[in-house]
Amino acid sequence: MTSSSIGMGEQDRLEREKFEDELKRILNASDTAGIILRVIGSLAFQKHCQKYGYLQAAMGRAYTDIDFAAYHRQTKEIQAMMAGLGYQENREVFIVSEGDRAIFERPEAGLHIDVFFEKLDFCHAIYWKGRLEVDHPSIPLAEMLLEKMQIVQINEKDIIDTIMLLLEHPLGDEDHETINIKRIAELCSLDWGLWRTTTMNLDKVRQLAQGYKQLSSEEKVTIASQVTIALNRIEHEPKPLAWRLRARVGDRVKWYKDVDDVQ
Amino acid sequence: MKIVRDLMHPGLLTCRPDATLGQVSVLLTQHHVHALIVSDRDGRSIGIISDYDLLAGEWLSADSQSLTTMRHLTAGELMSSPIDTVEASISLGAAAQKLIEKDINRLVVTDQGAPVGVVSISDFVASIAGEEKPLRSTVADVMSDAILVCREKTPLISAARTMTQAGWRSVLVVDAKGTPEGVVSGKDLLPCVQDDVDEKLTVREIMHPVLTIDMHARLREAADLMIQKHYHRLVVVDKDDPQAFPLGIISSFDIVAEMARPGSTWQK
Repeated sequence: MTSSSIGMGEQDRLEREKFEDELKRILNASDTAGIILRVIGSLAFQKHCQKYGYLQAAMGRAYTDIDFAAYHRQTKEIQAMMAGLGYQENREVFIVSEGDRAIFERPEAGLHIDVFFEKLDFCHAIYWKGRLEVDHPSIPLAEMLLEKMQIVQINEKDIIDTIMLLLEHPLGDEDHETINIKRIAELCSLDWGLWRTTTMNLDKVRQLAQGYKQLSSEEKVTIASQVTIALNRIEHEPKPLAWRLRARVGDRVKWYKDVDDVQ
Repeated sequence: MKIVRDLMHPGLLTCRPDATLGQVSVLLTQHHVHALIVSDRDGRSIGIISDYDLLAGEWLSADSQSLTTMRHLTAGELMSSPIDTVEASISLGAAAQKLIEKDINRLVVTDQGAPVGVVSISDFVASIAGEEKPLRSTVADVMSDAILVCREKTPLISAARTMTQAGWRSVLVVDAKGTPEGVVSGKDLLPCVQDDVDEKLTVREIMHPVLTIDMHARLREAADLMIQKHYHRLVVVDKDDPQAFPLGIISSFDIVAEMARPGSTWQK
């Protein structure tokens, strides 16, 4: 999920449909089994952006795997379900991550499934608690935006996904078909490091979006406007003492975790 | 009506902006104070740095690289600025309200704009107690193995008086078996400065929840917990027997005292 070349490149329709069809198969199985499994990553953006989803293919954004969010309490049910769907689990990843991550593979089909339990924990931790019930079949739009904005070394594929999201959905104080900027602002006010990376990346999205020839002038204006609204909302959220104290130290001390890439 | 001038400590204890956190910690412990005014070459007050700010030193020194950075950080870089001030002629109630609204522990007192002293929450607690605040000539304030305790039914005025006499900034509220029920700090008492204190009020009405830490926890964990929860002190317990009478209290000042100790990482 972090290498700069992964997730970019030509991908034919058949290959894209392979991932989209497999996502449907897994979601059907999880819904039937009563498992709370929510898609994250590129396919979540595709699912949640009916109007602007075409930009992924148009901008050379390729699917490489299918990522999910889930709760620890359903680990065994998920492992059993994935085995029933023909997947083999990479047990080493599950053990090394102390149960926070599971990888399932069907090498013969070229399919790789990543499940993140309780949180996405790369440069900054984004927690799922109480949030996976909010949307279906993806995580909520606020967490989708944060999933991308928490990456310090943000890549083009993440920029493209974010552009789609900002074009498709308004910002607001709730979750239904809306990017809950209130929640994002609250999380950023609790963690200076997350604030630092998120605001830095929103600004990058605003700047880089202006260079895409696939976007119209109106769309570029929309993205710039959405970023400005988001940054203003984050800026005006009251910050506790811990945040203000950390802000005084600033970039002098590293504010994010380095990412160990497990592919 | 009492005014701020009646309570304030005249004069300012200062440090230079280029003082390191280690040097600031030594000055705080030498003078037995919780904050210093940061002043420039011309003597102008440009900020304030407290023992709580110095917790950042332990909090953010998660690895050797961060520790090196934090050891070189200066008072000028970590201080709060601008300084919150209050005119010496205003009422105590108005000054207490400012402390509450800004969620701060002290104000620099000015006379027609010129800094002339400092007034802190401890001074307001002393005013509630109706007693003069003693000089901090004892080490009680930085002791961690002695605890000032009271029961829930203790009158608020009595708690304030005991805190003032002992020179402590908090009192631990325990039940009949010694299990911690809550803590009363100067901040909890501040709202009482604005009104006439009801003598029937007990500490139960104003205490805040206890935040505990295991006796074996690292200093950095204590600093982390204090900063994240915005607490100035933690009750030290034995995690194998958390309901037992606490082992002690660790305050932000204790951590600063450790930073000031000759031979500590911060003094090398």
